Amino acid sequence: MADSLVPAISIRNLTKVYPIPFKRERVVAVRNLSLHVEPGQVYGLLGPNGSGKSTTMKIILGLVSPTEGTTTIFGRDSSEVESREQVGFLPENPYFYKFLTGEETLFFYGKICGLRGAKLRERTRELLALVGLEGARDRRLGGYSKGMLQRIGLAQALVQEPRLLVLDEPTAGVDPAGSREIRDLILNFKTRGITVMLCSHLLEQVQEICDRIGILHQGKLVREGRLEELISIENQTELILENASPDLLRQIGALVSGSDAKLIAQHQPQRTLERFFLEVTGKEK
Amino acid sequence: MITTPPKHRAFSPWRIHAIASNALLELARLKVFYFLLLFALLIIGSSAFMMEFPFHEQFQVLKDLSLGAMSIFTWLLAVLATAMILPKDIEDRTLYTILAKPVPRVEYLLGKLLGVLWLLLLSTVLMSAMFALALATKEHLVVAQTMREMAHAPQEQLQAALRDVHEHAFTSSLVPGVLSIYLKAAIFASLTLLLSTFATSSIFTIIVSFVIYFIGHVQHIAREEWLGSAHPMAMKKVFLALVALLFPDLQLFNLVDDIVAGNAIQMALFVKTVGLGCAYTFVYAFVAYVIFAYKEL
Repeated sequence: MADSLVPAISIRNLTKVYPIPFKRERVVAVRNLSLHVEPGQVYGLLGPNGSGKSTTMKIILGLVSPTEGTTTIFGRDSSEVESREQVGFLPENPYFYKFLTGEETLFFYGKICGLRGAKLRERTRELLALVGLEGARDRRLGGYSKGMLQRIGLAQALVQEPRLLVLDEPTAGVDPAGSREIRDLILNFKTRGITVMLCSHLLEQVQEICDRIGILHQGKLVREGRLEELISIENQTELILENASPDLLRQIGALVSGSDAKLIAQHQPQRTLERFFLEVTGKEK
Repeated sequence: MITTPPKHRAFSPWRIHAIASNALLELARLKVFYFLLLFALLIIGSSAFMMEFPFHEQFQVLKDLSLGAMSIFTWLLAVLATAMILPKDIEDRTLYTILAKPVPRVEYLLGKLLGVLWLLLLSTVLMSAMFALALATKEHLVVAQTMREMAHAPQEQLQAALRDVHEHAFTSSLVPGVLSIYLKAAIFASLTLLLSTFATSSIFTIIVSFVIYFIGHVQHIAREEWLGSAHPMAMKKVFLALVALLFPDLQLFNLVDDIVAGNAIQMALFVKTVGLGCAYTFVYAFVAYVIFAYKEL
């Protein structure tokens, strides 16, 4: 099969059951889940706390074994160590090794991925530039802000040039400016052809960057599909006009009232609170 | 631009080296070497305190105290350093970022254990160097004092007295003594790693390691009873067998008492001690791997 036709992630009939120690009860974290993520997509896995998102991610990364079903990464069984050559992972609220500097952190992750010498140094320099941490390369991670930690986390995830990034709450606890920088980085990865699977509770941000989403609830995939198709209201149409005169608006209103359609709302669009915050704090690019 | 990543190897000493060096750096930056200052103070203080004793007693106390302190310090270091290294990685989720890379679990665990073993080796070498320096200084002072006191004695008597001083100072049997101390610490590093693969907290791991330390010193009694008694009760026999098989026999590594007393260590005993030390370390590390390989993270 051509490489571009192989799904980046393929999950088939996945079920994960956790036994409760010293009890006969069992917790079903994921029930019969099947989904595919195509190469180059940004896929959002959404769901309330305890819905099975993290368990699914851990199974994809081989950290937890499935009770039933299979998961593959670019066609390789995700329980095989080799499948992780193609994956970069950023966990939720990672701490990393506080005693290492930013540069040492990337050296360490590069070394365990088989990089060394000039290639490792070059890759570290590139990644520090990509995530905007060149100025903090010699500072220990213990002194990094939350946003900086997330960015060095993204850099370590990319160190072996993976084709798939798995990001668990990549902007959790980060201020709006830092959050936007991370969002821009994810969009940048997409333009480089990197597939991204992310979990986030920030639905507005998911809406901005994801091509496709899946919603998990109590371990089951309740909805899945292209974002535009899932959230569009099929029987409504939105017109946004600039510099429309009151006369024009009256004419449009008269046209609508003479038809079968119904005008539901007419108001001035509002900027998002995030954009307003960034304008006020001078961080809007 | 996406390029081809380096070819993955099923087992890579390079990856183990990277994890081990990082573990050693972590422990070094946690300033665990400060305990060496305590060791230095202990031997300098004891040397000053013993000035009034006869020289053979001075050498004996210095050896006893230094080797005893080395044994306690390396054991404590092995338990405390290993008990925190794995749970901390799990708590900080650093473990996820490492195992999400193409790193087999056996390499991760081996790297962590090697990091601690390097730390123990470095500490043992540094303490041995301090001990050797203290011993050489003491020998030099005693030789000078003997020559002063016997300035007018016949040459043969002086030579005999000096020979006596040298025989009580550095002896080659100190080397197996130091090695047995290192081996005991290595066993505990491996055992503590095993405990931390299923323990729920570092405190639990440390307490259980301490308990095993004491059981290990009486293990030989249980083993002799298990193998020797003809018709013990079934329950008792099972209990004795469990103690004898699960816990290390730490008495085998107590070569220090003989060395301080001036007894030579036989080569056969030394080889047996080294072999057993390596076997215990390997077995505990292997069991740790089996548990860790199936652990749900």
